[in-house]
Amino acid sequence: MGMKDMLLELREKALQDLQAAKDSQELQDLKVKYLGRKGPMTEILRGMGKVPAADRPKIGEVVNQVKQTLEQTIRDRAEILKEEALKAKIANEKVDITLPGRKPACGHLHPLTLTAREIKRIFIHMGFDVIEGPEIDNDYFNFEALNLPKDHPARDMQDTFYITDNYLLRTQTSGVQARTMQAHEPNTPIRMISPGAVYRNDYDATHSPMFHQVEGLVVDRDISLADLKGTLELFCREMFGDDVKIRLRPSYFPFTEPSCEVDISCVICGGKGCNVCKHSGWLEILGAGEVHPNVLKMSGYDPSIMNGYAFGMGIERIAMLKYGIDDLRLFFENDLRFIRQFR
Amino acid sequence: MLVSIEWLKKYVDFDITPEELADKLTHVGLEVESVIHLGAGISGVLTGKVTAIGRNPKSDHLWVCQMDYGSGEIVQIQTGAQNVKLGDMVPVATVGATLPNGMKLNPVKMAGLDSYGMLCSAQELGIDSKLLLPEQREGILILPPDTPVGKDIREVLGLTDTVLDIDLTANKQDCFCMTGVAREAAAVLGKKMQLPDMAVKENDGRDIAGMMKNGIEAPDLCSRFANRIITDIKIMPSPEWMQNELRAVSIRPINNVVDVTNYVMMELGQPMHAYDYDTLKDHTLIVRRAKAGEKLTTLDGKERDLTPDMIVIADTEKAVGLGGVMGGLQTEVTDKTQTVILEAATFNGPSIRHTSKALGLRSEASMRFERGVDTGHTWYALDRAVHLLEEMGACKSVKGICESCPVPFVPTVLSISPAAMNTRIGVEIPVAEMVSILRSLEFEVEEEADGSLKVTVPSWRSDVTCDADISEEIARLHSYDKIESHNPMLAMKEGREDPMETVKDGVQDYLASAGLDEVQNYTFIHPSFMDKMMLPSDDVRRKVIRLMNPISDEFSTMRTTMLPGMLATAAYNLARQAESVKIFETGRVYLPKSLPLTEHPEERQMIGAVMTGRRYDLNWTNGKDDVDFFDMKGVVEGLLESVHLTGYGLVPCTEPYMHPGKSCAVRVDGKVIGCFGCLHPTAAANFNVGEETYVLEMELAPLVKAAGTVPQYTHLAKFPGMSRDIAVVVPDTVSMKELEGVIRANAGGLLRQVRVFDVYTGRQVGKGSKSVAFNLTFRADDRTLTDAEIDAIMKTVVNNVQETYKAQLRK
Repeated sequence: MGMKDMLLELREKALQDLQAAKDSQELQDLKVKYLGRKGPMTEILRGMGKVPAADRPKIGEVVNQVKQTLEQTIRDRAEILKEEALKAKIANEKVDITLPGRKPACGHLHPLTLTAREIKRIFIHMGFDVIEGPEIDNDYFNFEALNLPKDHPARDMQDTFYITDNYLLRTQTSGVQARTMQAHEPNTPIRMISPGAVYRNDYDATHSPMFHQVEGLVVDRDISLADLKGTLELFCREMFGDDVKIRLRPSYFPFTEPSCEVDISCVICGGKGCNVCKHSGWLEILGAGEVHPNVLKMSGYDPSIMNGYAFGMGIERIAMLKYGIDDLRLFFENDLRFIRQFR
Repeated sequence: MLVSIEWLKKYVDFDITPEELADKLTHVGLEVESVIHLGAGISGVLTGKVTAIGRNPKSDHLWVCQMDYGSGEIVQIQTGAQNVKLGDMVPVATVGATLPNGMKLNPVKMAGLDSYGMLCSAQELGIDSKLLLPEQREGILILPPDTPVGKDIREVLGLTDTVLDIDLTANKQDCFCMTGVAREAAAVLGKKMQLPDMAVKENDGRDIAGMMKNGIEAPDLCSRFANRIITDIKIMPSPEWMQNELRAVSIRPINNVVDVTNYVMMELGQPMHAYDYDTLKDHTLIVRRAKAGEKLTTLDGKERDLTPDMIVIADTEKAVGLGGVMGGLQTEVTDKTQTVILEAATFNGPSIRHTSKALGLRSEASMRFERGVDTGHTWYALDRAVHLLEEMGACKSVKGICESCPVPFVPTVLSISPAAMNTRIGVEIPVAEMVSILRSLEFEVEEEADGSLKVTVPSWRSDVTCDADISEEIARLHSYDKIESHNPMLAMKEGREDPMETVKDGVQDYLASAGLDEVQNYTFIHPSFMDKMMLPSDDVRRKVIRLMNPISDEFSTMRTTMLPGMLATAAYNLARQAESVKIFETGRVYLPKSLPLTEHPEERQMIGAVMTGRRYDLNWTNGKDDVDFFDMKGVVEGLLESVHLTGYGLVPCTEPYMHPGKSCAVRVDGKVIGCFGCLHPTAAANFNVGEETYVLEMELAPLVKAAGTVPQYTHLAKFPGMSRDIAVVVPDTVSMKELEGVIRANAGGLLRQVRVFDVYTGRQVGKGSKSVAFNLTFRADDRTLTDAEIDAIMKTVVNNVQETYKAQLRK
């Protein structure tokens, strides 16, 4: 048999073996067997000396071809085996995707915090400062500076918790109006809100002795009820959605004149009428008005130069509407089954 | 305030529905809370006469009545009530009738006999029994004997009327009466309000001047005091129409004199009082301050202790009434009264308010004086009352009014700039419309040459004192609905908040992300919580601010620590089967500088947290371990890291409510800012939480300063680090900090990090010892380290640790 035939025979045999290799180890063994130093290829090449010099390049070419063919086949086969191995491995790897995940623990913020933050965010974007005030205040800031002298009948609008004859738990955040004005240079512009806890001696299904308000105050030149309406409309749209409408109704607060209650179109029924809005289509959400000239005067502002508007809203009320909460007491019972419903 | 539509129509004529009127009134500031249709649900109830009555022989309580209710036949109806007599006139619910409770009448058999209908009690007709005469409250409602047979009961009892329930704001004292509401209604409807007839006959023949005297000794408390005298009084029930109207507005009819004083108060807003002329010494009424120690028995039979800031009406001998609040018992009008002095006065509102609060005595009269009555119409009330009684044929009247008026009423006159009104409202309302609005409310308006308006405020509008008040009158009648939204044109500026608030938000976010739920507790707590916290009697937190008028002890003292409220909340949730309670709260504690309070207390912002129960939610990948000290410590470390606070130390905690071996205090700049750890088992038991309950309480302010730190970038390491593990067995009294100190002291400058990755106590290391495994990371900034140099360092470290603690090396 000539050398070339031997090579071709070797190739055939090797190709058969390689195709039959079942895994990469077997393939590696065959590579060593056929192409290794001690393999048949080396053996055959040793007989090269007996080949006539003129035929040597031809034989050399065959040798190279066989070698390349085998190497290529090994690579191809390796690729296939790798893929098969991967497939087999994947086929064996399976998780039960219906088992619950390893969720990092995450707590929940109180719905009143979420609501207060939302209110703050909206007003800060409109250029309002956020100012804190004391919860334990004196009669002057809670009442007198707000145009509520002693024995004024409107003091009955709020049942006050007293600490001494002079000190009390604030019944409203409105006292921060006077504090803020008195902290400013007279007749300089003010744009602020003040959120916080307030207290009234009233405890039943619809009243909590502690609750939260956000006070708002803008003092500048020529600030009208129309400006108040515009600001609150912006706020309500941002809070409750673009479709919400607002209306003002005349009301009374000692520290504003004219005063109004502000209603929004019912966020539950869209104004068609439902149980939440008592079929009126409107929900009362806050009280507001033009700052009473006496309030400006008492805090060193000249009402003939400066005027403004003020508003006060209950955070609980807004949270109840936003989250569909129907019982005020839930906010302070702190049942975790309640709190964990909010993020 | 309740307003009867039928009554209202006496003063203003309208034909819109009560609901339409309610809507219009609400839009001008008289908020109608509800529209109540009296007699709603009643049909087929007629007046009937008992023509025969006898017992049902088979029953021990049923009566068989033969009723005539105008149907042309006598109908048999049984009743279980015991107050029906032959000839009585009663309400009969006929077969097919309906009642307010939804009941529909069918023929029934009772104790063997037929019954075709039902005799009704007041309650069954939906009438509040408080509004009835005492004799009408029990059993079947017995109607006056002259009531015609077969009439619809709703007409007889005034139940065809509709009542508006108005939530009157404190400034609308003028609308605390029918004519006041009528005036608003007239202005809204473009009509004119008619005052009622006040003509008096003065047919007694005598002049009041010869019969009585009055005077005011305290003009600051009473600006006007006026009386009329009526004689030959016949005390009797007032006519049905008046009783019905009073009942419609929730006032109980009593007798003609009392009813008329109430009626006039409801009609004109002027509270009145009636004295028995013959009980007054010297027929004199003096308005004065009460004397110290003076006593008066009021109409309700209670003896009252008076103080000099109270107004009394007195004769020449004794106090006979608490001016504006309640009359005296001794001078009350009774069945025997022959002659009556009627009183109408203007008392000082704040004084009345003070008196009624001090005595816990609020009356329809005091509520009106508190807000202010119409001092311009004092005489009208006297005349109207006499007119009504004369109309009933109940009296004669004496000529004239006896009056003291040391402070004559001067109307408020305001000069108003129409432009300023429009600026305030934000709408262009023409001057002519402003004038017409004000005149519709009976303000007098004159247009001045300079364009301003001279506005004279009517006597019943004492709430109107400045131009802002006028702007409200204009705005509300013009309609708030016509105010177009406008955005204020203000200089651009950024909104800012107190950095403390920003940090608080960050703290809340961090704690929530660490798995804690936020709670908000009442800031007032039960004083016994301080005992539960085992605070010694001299602990500063026992200096609590107490409320004078708390809802209950439970809510009576302002908290000086966050923990009691939070522990109560934890217990509340544990009692509701919470597997774990991991909660936090940010809020204030209230620390008085002195007690009783003479200045504002410190309201210190605090962070509190409580963790107890399972570490993780029950889940197949998690263990069932409970939280321990290191859970809380990790939260605290993470929290402080989140606000860039690194320079803090942990020192032993001495709080009595903490477990001394499992707690520590956090110290910043030499000052303890809070503490955390395991609750003392006794405190845990006191609060009904488990022994393994971990708490944190810390001040917020110290976190604010560090939170402002802006992190500064440091270059990333260019060369790889090298890490080595070492495990040593040391006495278990050796703290980790100590051990780490020895390692660091001997590891040289290449040591970058020391981490504990295992702590073991148990059989394998023997009693009194623990095995601690560290991972040490070395790195140089300028080269790659070699094994040889690190091996050398490790050898030094190991040798020194062994030597220091006689420690063994673990493999």
